[in-house]
Amino acid sequence: MSIQLRLAARYLAGRKLRTTLTTLAIVLGVMVIFGLNGILPGMIQSIQQVMLASVGQVDLSITSASSGTFEPSVAQAVARVEGVRAVSPALRRTIALPRDSGLDASALVVVGIDPVTAPHVRPYPLAAGRMLRPSDESGMRTAAMMSRELADKLGLRLGERFKLPSASGTTVLELVGMLDTPALPGSEEVIVSLPMAQRMFDVGDRISEIDAGFVSGADREAVQRAVRRAIGPDYIVGAVQTESPLSAGFEAASFIMNTIGVFALAMGGFIILNTFRTIVSERRHDIGMLRAVGASRRTILGMFLLESLMQGLLGTGLGLLAGYGLAIVANNALGRMVEQIINLPPTDVRFTPSTWVTAIILGVGVTVLAALVPARAAARITPLEALRPAIGDVYEAAATKRGWAGLALVAVAVAGLLSGNTGLAGLSVVLLLAGLALGSSVAVRPLSDFFSRAIELVYRSEGGVARANLQRNPGRAAATASAVMISIALIVALVGTITSTIEGFGVYAEKSTGTDYLILPQNLLLGGGTVGAGPELRARVQDTPGIGDVATLRFANTVLNGTAVQVVGIDPKEYGRIAGFEYSKGSSEADLTRLERDGTVLANGVFTAQYGSGRGDTLRLPTPSGEKRFRVVGVGNDYINAKIPTLYVSQAALERWWGVTTDVLILADARPGSDKAAALRELTKTVAEFPSFALYDTASWRKVQADLYAQMESIYYVLALILAIPSLLALLNTLTIGVLARTREIGMLRAVGGTRKQIKRIVLSESLLLAALGLSAGLIAGVWLGYVMILAVEGLGLAMPYRFPGVGIALAVAVGLSFAALAALIPARQAAKLDVIRALRYE
Amino acid sequence: MTIAETRGLTKIYGAGETRVVALDHVDLAIEPGEFVAVMGPSGCGKSTLLNLMGGLDTPTEGSVVLDGRDIAAMSDDELTSVRRKRIGFVFQFFNLIPVLTAAENASLPLVLDGVPPKEALGRAEEMLAKVGLTHRSGSRPDQLSGGQQQRVAVARALITDPALVLADEPTGNLDSRSSEEIAGLLRQVSGEWGRAILMVTHDPRIAAHADRIVFMRDGRIVDDTRIANSDSARDAMERAGLL
Ligand SMILES: Nc1ncnc2c1ncn2[C@@H]1O[C@H](COP(=O)(O)OP(=O)(O)O)[C@@H](O)[C@H]1O
Ligand SMILES: [Mg+2]
Repeated sequence: MSIQLRLAARYLAGRKLRTTLTTLAIVLGVMVIFGLNGILPGMIQSIQQVMLASVGQVDLSITSASSGTFEPSVAQAVARVEGVRAVSPALRRTIALPRDSGLDASALVVVGIDPVTAPHVRPYPLAAGRMLRPSDESGMRTAAMMSRELADKLGLRLGERFKLPSASGTTVLELVGMLDTPALPGSEEVIVSLPMAQRMFDVGDRISEIDAGFVSGADREAVQRAVRRAIGPDYIVGAVQTESPLSAGFEAASFIMNTIGVFALAMGGFIILNTFRTIVSERRHDIGMLRAVGASRRTILGMFLLESLMQGLLGTGLGLLAGYGLAIVANNALGRMVEQIINLPPTDVRFTPSTWVTAIILGVGVTVLAALVPARAAARITPLEALRPAIGDVYEAAATKRGWAGLALVAVAVAGLLSGNTGLAGLSVVLLLAGLALGSSVAVRPLSDFFSRAIELVYRSEGGVARANLQRNPGRAAATASAVMISIALIVALVGTITSTIEGFGVYAEKSTGTDYLILPQNLLLGGGTVGAGPELRARVQDTPGIGDVATLRFANTVLNGTAVQVVGIDPKEYGRIAGFEYSKGSSEADLTRLERDGTVLANGVFTAQYGSGRGDTLRLPTPSGEKRFRVVGVGNDYINAKIPTLYVSQAALERWWGVTTDVLILADARPGSDKAAALRELTKTVAEFPSFALYDTASWRKVQADLYAQMESIYYVLALILAIPSLLALLNTLTIGVLARTREIGMLRAVGGTRKQIKRIVLSESLLLAALGLSAGLIAGVWLGYVMILAVEGLGLAMPYRFPGVGIALAVAVGLSFAALAALIPARQAAKLDVIRALRYE
Repeated sequence: MTIAETRGLTKIYGAGETRVVALDHVDLAIEPGEFVAVMGPSGCGKSTLLNLMGGLDTPTEGSVVLDGRDIAAMSDDELTSVRRKRIGFVFQFFNLIPVLTAAENASLPLVLDGVPPKEALGRAEEMLAKVGLTHRSGSRPDQLSGGQQQRVAVARALITDPALVLADEPTGNLDSRSSEEIAGLLRQVSGEWGRAILMVTHDPRIAAHADRIVFMRDGRIVDDTRIANSDSARDAMERAGLL
């Protein structure tokens, strides 16, 4: 064992340049997998934390299954359950703070509590000031408490007043008490009396939560079960709901990141495969010697595997470090973007155990696996073979067999795509990549014949030598071209998808925001966290001179199959006049009028994709007023809610079943021929009195969205560039190996009169040929991959226009060819600089 | 008593047009402590004979008996173990692992056999001292001269107390002074330390150090002469048509 270790370590240290290049390939793959996955859990957890924080130290917390508000009478039912000592009703809402609020936070949680019963179910350790009093409920006093930590953060002292947005515009509160409780980032609480909160959010006497305390020594499980029995299935007993469409979205993102990381590692695998093949053929004599003096086949196998293991560990270790860096940089960039869209508090980079395990196992595993084939070939070498001076190519035969297997895989992949099944299509991409990678060794000869004709036009004799060099070792050429192929395919697919996606959303935006003005909260997507406006805002918008049609959107939540679904209330007539939907196949404008009947919903594409319910199906939805059946009368998308599973109902139904009457989104059109500038000025003044809302005229709203997508696009381009680097490494590695292996030949060429320039051109031609091989396969695979990705997005319910990825192809060709030239630089110079006499003596 | 013996040893390479009989029913017995030189024109089968006796290759026909066991019938693992414990090799080229020091190279068979590295290194240093390389044990092969490299190879060949040392043109790549030194060292190995040696050489002056010279032609042994001094060696070579 220890001799293998010593040999492995010495050999690794003895080939520094190659060790560095090969290790870099692993570093990149691990970096992508580890780094990108480090960003997501933090965000997911931050969402969950915001939601979980409300459970706090209470024995039992009861919320509505549909995350809405409910009648306070439920509290009595809970109080009657045996084992329950005390109950206290509460109303909890997350509010977004306007940027000019003067408070140093983007969102706060307002909790309305009953000052009399609350201390019986949850501790309120005072640090300063006083507890809320029942007399605070009179409506004259607007007292509030918060943790000392939060007060410090907001810069508030006892007795100071501060403004918070509310349904009626703003509410002024006075800080009367500071608590000794931790302020969880993203869920900092401002505690007011329950009636105050109910007024702030315009919910009548409804509540959103019941906290209960148990008699000491009670069987907690039993009490919990009894409570559940007493109040029925419309409520969640225990923890608040943490599943959200948002975290599902993050999980999908994490899946994509992992897939990209695996592709990056696959490229690393090809590079390692090449390196180890070369190492084995270079060390034939050493292997023969070791075998002659008594090393067994296992010892030889172990020696190479140990070497790959050490390299894998080194690469993975550095990859984890680099991934950590990447996570921090990307988290900052993404964080700013995410904050703009959904107002999450800034999150930390966090690495879950499964991220660690995945990154380490894949990083080390791919390295060892890639080395396995050459290592086994090495173990099979007999001592005599190894001691003979001539070296034959041991891979030739295997390559043909693998080639046919690869072509078979390609055929299976084609069938997979033609099946039209999205899942199969995704799988077929992987098969196609693998098939092309394997089959490429067969394709090396005909393809390089083809491409070298172009090169021979420029470099007549050098191009021919380069082609012969490639064809002499088709396995090595194929592995290199495969790495280039994956890079190119990813670039084409990524760039193609982002172009299609942006165009797709452009179409939605065009149709769905065909209004002149939008008034919307600064955080749009976190449904539960938005404070709506009472009827006043809408009325004042309507009364603004120059304003014509107005429509509003209202929001609630329900639960289907355990995950949250957003319910949007619209006035069908109003909404149809001013905005409208992009209808899916089989649906039309006529479906919108059907919404006026109670018990009907319109679903969006993401919803249909996720739950499989379409037009004509019936849904049983939990509502704060009990379970209710709804029939799906149509399927359509609007821009704002396109990414979240959404059901549209009439505002009358939303009030009746969810008790929601506040407007979250107000759309308004200018009256034709009116003074638009004047109308905008008036609207601006009105909206200023509702600080949680922002006013956009459509032009600037589109610009905000376009900026957002431009940011996203640039992140994609950076990612594509990172993924292109392994192909540069693969080329560099192979050319370096080629120059080393042919030192004698190069010496011979120089001896018979070859110029340095000609030697350089041979290396450059080889590089260009390899890149051309990778490009031709990669472009095909990339166009395909992009097509399947669009299919997949469509499968999620967003119909995307397919655009042929012209930009992606142009970019990929440019990257491929320039990398080929770049990669040839150093090896070409090395080859040209060789000392003729020494080269001829080289063995 | 013989330590190594071949009976009807035959090796045929290829078939049909390319069929080559490299060894043709060779019978050869070697006594403990005997220093045997093998001579003959290029391609007559000298290396093939050594490779078969060392268990690097398997015969087409016949047997190789080492320590009373027929190695021709052994599996690859058994052969590996025999090579490790009972045979020492010295080749013309590629003798040493370039990334290991002289002492590490010399200790290889012991280490492969499971001897703790410290102990193996200690014994390798002793052996290097015996072959006259006291101060170079920490040097890597590329820091040693050709003669010094072959001394390391001899030290490695001897480190497991093998029954038989096989040397295929050990001086073929050396200048005449180093060649003499290596031949003298092998003489000492057989004479003073009692190891049997089978050495292939083209050089009559090197062969003259042996106890016995075996002449081969076309895969067969054509002469087998015990020599008392360099004169009798010269006679034998003349008879074989080598001088
Ligand atoms: N692996 C092999 N395949 C085919 N022929 C071989 C092989 N090895 C040796 N030979 C042939 O066997 C004969 C004896 O070779 P060898 O033992 O190397 O001769 P020597 O060492 O005496 O020069 C030669 O004709 C050689 O060409
Ligand atoms: Mg020979």
